[in-house]
Amino acid sequence: MRKTRGQQIALNTVGIVVAVLFAFPTYWMLTSSIKPSGDLLTPDYDLVPLAVTFDNFASAIAKPGFVVHLANSLIVTLGAVACSLVAGVLAAFPLARLRFRGRKGFLLLVLIAQMAPIEALFIPMFLLMQDAGLLNKLPSLLLVYFAITLPFTVWTLRGFVAGIPFELEEAAMVDGCGRFGAFRRVVLPLLGPGLVATSVFAFITAWNEFLYALVFMRDADKQTLPVWLATFKTVFGTDWGGIMAASVLYALPALVFFLIVQRKLVSGATAGALKG
Amino acid sequence: MTATAQITVPAGSSPPAPPRAGRPRRAGFGERTVPYLLLAPAVITMLVLLGWPAIQVVGISFRKLDLGELVRGEVVWVGLDNYVSVLSDPEVWTITLRTVLFTVACVVGTVLAGLLIAVLMRHLSSKVRIALQVCLVLAWATPILATTTVFQWIFDQQYGILNKTLVKLGFESFAGFSWFSSGASTLTVIGLLIVWQAVPFVCFTIYAGLLAAPRELYEAASIDGASGWQTFATVSWPAIRSLVTLATFLSVIWDFKVFAQVWAIRQGGPDGESTTLPVVLYLKGIAQRHFGVASAIAVLMIIVLLALTARYLQLLLRSREADVS
Amino acid sequence: MVGAAAIALATAGCAGSGGTDNSGDEAKAGEPRTLTVWLMNGSAPQTLTDSLNKEFEKKHDGVTVKYEVQEWNGIQDKLTTALGSQEPPDVIELGNTQAPSFASEKVLTDLSGDVDKLNGDQWLDSLKASGEWDGKQYSTPFYAANREVIYRTDMFEQAGITAPPTSRDEWLDAITKLKAKFGKDKQFQPLYLPGQNWYALLSFIYDEGGDIAKKDGNDFTATVNSDEAKAGLEFYKQLVDASGTTAPKDNDEQNPEQAGIYGQGKVAMMIALPWEVDTAAKDHPDIKEKTSAFPIPSKNAGETAPVFQGGSNLAIPLNSKNADLAKEYLALMLSSKYQAQFAQAGMVPGASTDLSALDANPVSKAMAEASKNGKSVPATPKWATIEAGQNPLKDMLTAYLTGAKSIDAATDDANKALDAAFSGS
Repeated sequence: MRKTRGQQIALNTVGIVVAVLFAFPTYWMLTSSIKPSGDLLTPDYDLVPLAVTFDNFASAIAKPGFVVHLANSLIVTLGAVACSLVAGVLAAFPLARLRFRGRKGFLLLVLIAQMAPIEALFIPMFLLMQDAGLLNKLPSLLLVYFAITLPFTVWTLRGFVAGIPFELEEAAMVDGCGRFGAFRRVVLPLLGPGLVATSVFAFITAWNEFLYALVFMRDADKQTLPVWLATFKTVFGTDWGGIMAASVLYALPALVFFLIVQRKLVSGATAGALKG
Repeated sequence: MTATAQITVPAGSSPPAPPRAGRPRRAGFGERTVPYLLLAPAVITMLVLLGWPAIQVVGISFRKLDLGELVRGEVVWVGLDNYVSVLSDPEVWTITLRTVLFTVACVVGTVLAGLLIAVLMRHLSSKVRIALQVCLVLAWATPILATTTVFQWIFDQQYGILNKTLVKLGFESFAGFSWFSSGASTLTVIGLLIVWQAVPFVCFTIYAGLLAAPRELYEAASIDGASGWQTFATVSWPAIRSLVTLATFLSVIWDFKVFAQVWAIRQGGPDGESTTLPVVLYLKGIAQRHFGVASAIAVLMIIVLLALTARYLQLLLRSREADVS
Repeated sequence: MVGAAAIALATAGCAGSGGTDNSGDEAKAGEPRTLTVWLMNGSAPQTLTDSLNKEFEKKHDGVTVKYEVQEWNGIQDKLTTALGSQEPPDVIELGNTQAPSFASEKVLTDLSGDVDKLNGDQWLDSLKASGEWDGKQYSTPFYAANREVIYRTDMFEQAGITAPPTSRDEWLDAITKLKAKFGKDKQFQPLYLPGQNWYALLSFIYDEGGDIAKKDGNDFTATVNSDEAKAGLEFYKQLVDASGTTAPKDNDEQNPEQAGIYGQGKVAMMIALPWEVDTAAKDHPDIKEKTSAFPIPSKNAGETAPVFQGGSNLAIPLNSKNADLAKEYLALMLSSKYQAQFAQAGMVPGASTDLSALDANPVSKAMAEASKNGKSVPATPKWATIEAGQNPLKDMLTAYLTGAKSIDAATDDANKALDAAFSGS
């Protein structure tokens, strides 16, 4: 449907309004991080900050452990996301395309695996990691995050693969590719946006996880950012400005991850569709 | 592949297989094991890291496992006592109903908003679209501690920007208005928070599905003079229908289990009126370190979830999707 | 074959690997040992722990102290897994309201026989009580703090109040005088009192001679609907109404942070802990010199109201492999030398009756005065849950202050909820 200029402007306006609505709480977090902490609770109308300071950022970064915790978070999160994507893509193909015995059983397993509340799982998980001798070692967190993000990754990627018309692979096979060649050449590029959505979700889930990071890692130098964030709340009161600044710093890697991933993968998708 | 042939075939199902002349053999050994090999990493991980602990949770639900038993490594079987103690509390049934209704409300809100925004996204110029996407990702990526705090500040009785703005716009009655005075209003604020952070995933998922629909279909539709709605119904919807179902299903599971936001905002208050099942799991189980009871509640939650998603599971297990040889 | 192995695996996993190796294996003398100590953030000042750890290591050849500061956020879960692990820490700090729940699970070392070695005759009564369970002593006092009324000296002066109130009537009178002088400013509050400051409520109830629960062996029955408790609740309302505070009635003194609001300068009094003054001073440094404190006035002339004593206990996990060393660490921590440093840091020492260091500063002096009459919450393991979750006292306060329930209905409901919490899960 070709749009007229007027229609495009109208749509863009709606888009901007939606963006603003969504951005408002984030905007609030941003402005809270640059307000002097005394200004956080004021009867004055402070839609725009009345005063600006970057002290909160300075003290957040200077807080001991920031770099170490950041590094630990990056390791376990990126590791878990990578494992999840690989295992997920590998599993999505047979679940969506192939017929084999036990397929329905596997589907059911994936579905039910998502239903258990992870707060209830933490004792058996703890015992499992203890028996495996992995407590207080970063791989234990990586494995937990891998396990937590895997079911929906498999499920969502399966959904995406199922949504791609089989004719595209058929055409490739007619051209001489085998089953897997066809999958690799045709489906994977089209899966780009799907990989973006699942990888960003997996990243955010692992990045923000607190409970397991807290109980599996005992030593301070093995802990991750969410645990570091919790240190802003002390018995003497909470450094709200610091928490907001820290949260802004916290959300940035996820944003960066998204921007990198979406540029690399989405361009592949549209190119693939045109080739058909 | 002609355009007209495509429009009538919903994406995701397969056309009749081409005639098999020239390929009459049975699937070889390699081909038969391949599916299992591909599935192996995912399945092994899930069985060991999720399945095993989940089985243990069921086992623990029949035991008394408090801190003492955990530290001393004791196994004390108590049969159905944990279940009885949970189910005999009359509040639990109210709370379960409240949780289900809350979940439905959140899911409807999330999926509708996600769908509408995804469709909108397709029609935006690229700069506006990227801006919108960045706003969505930031909403998604912000840690829960920050988002719950910011929402509480925005809705604060005395100092919240919402009340201050409403008063400025002339609604004097909102000066000092408490958004958390009843369970219903508290849950509404919590619901807004949850939907706000959940929409990005649904939106990106559906948007990805829209992108995967071949462009020629849209062009063919516009050549045929289809209106926006018709294009949506015949081209977009089939491409994303399974994704919408998927997003709904996942949202039901996640929104049912959500704990951190409900707890952070009012700890299940005022007077226990915003308590949901996950809060009960925390209060009766984790907070008191009665892990047997916590496990029983977890099992009950899974049963309710299975009931809620039964229809979807049924459709799935019966489907003939993507059956190709 | 596989089935049998699976069952064996299952029961092994089910039994958990919680170490039960408390055969008390003490290492041979001279073997290097590590003593793991977990204290909470904000408890002992760093200067104190640095010098204590150094002294301990010097006294014990070959022993290294692995000292780790823990955050309160999430500590319950961390302690659960730590105590259940094969190498629990050797010394842990427990909030005094949490200590009974750990003791009743029998996961702490019995210290009844060591009380004398640990400076027992100097112990603060309320903390001693929270360390007891079933007639035995499972944790020692560490330090405590209690609330008082923090006030603006300059505002009192300007309002013509010559001396801090020493009775309830004088307190209400002060509120009236402050309102008369500063009431024109709509943002001014003579007393900032949010609806759910249940610690303050406890003080008023104790002052009436009541309590929130009665001890009956190891059990407790709630007494929140007694006449004394109702009188305390009514006084709370009297204060809220008299001062016309705009603090939220459905939240407590941390949400929003009352110290921050006090710091903005439009509040004359708040019921708070001494270090909340420092919190206020972070953003408004000049508030400190204009601030002093007085103990919460009693209804009885010449007395100060009993106060809720918050604080921490120290304990040794049952499975600790270094219980002997841990006891010596405790002995050092509870010695008068180091307890004096707690007083200097503005806290009430748990194992020293010498509070003179607190007199140096009027704010901590008032706390020290009030601390002589301190009580804690019922020492029952069930209290931990009430604190962790939905506190019926908070709901009761909000319901009564907003008029949603009558005083009888509010206290009866809270009583029922407390009894339910005490009796079961």
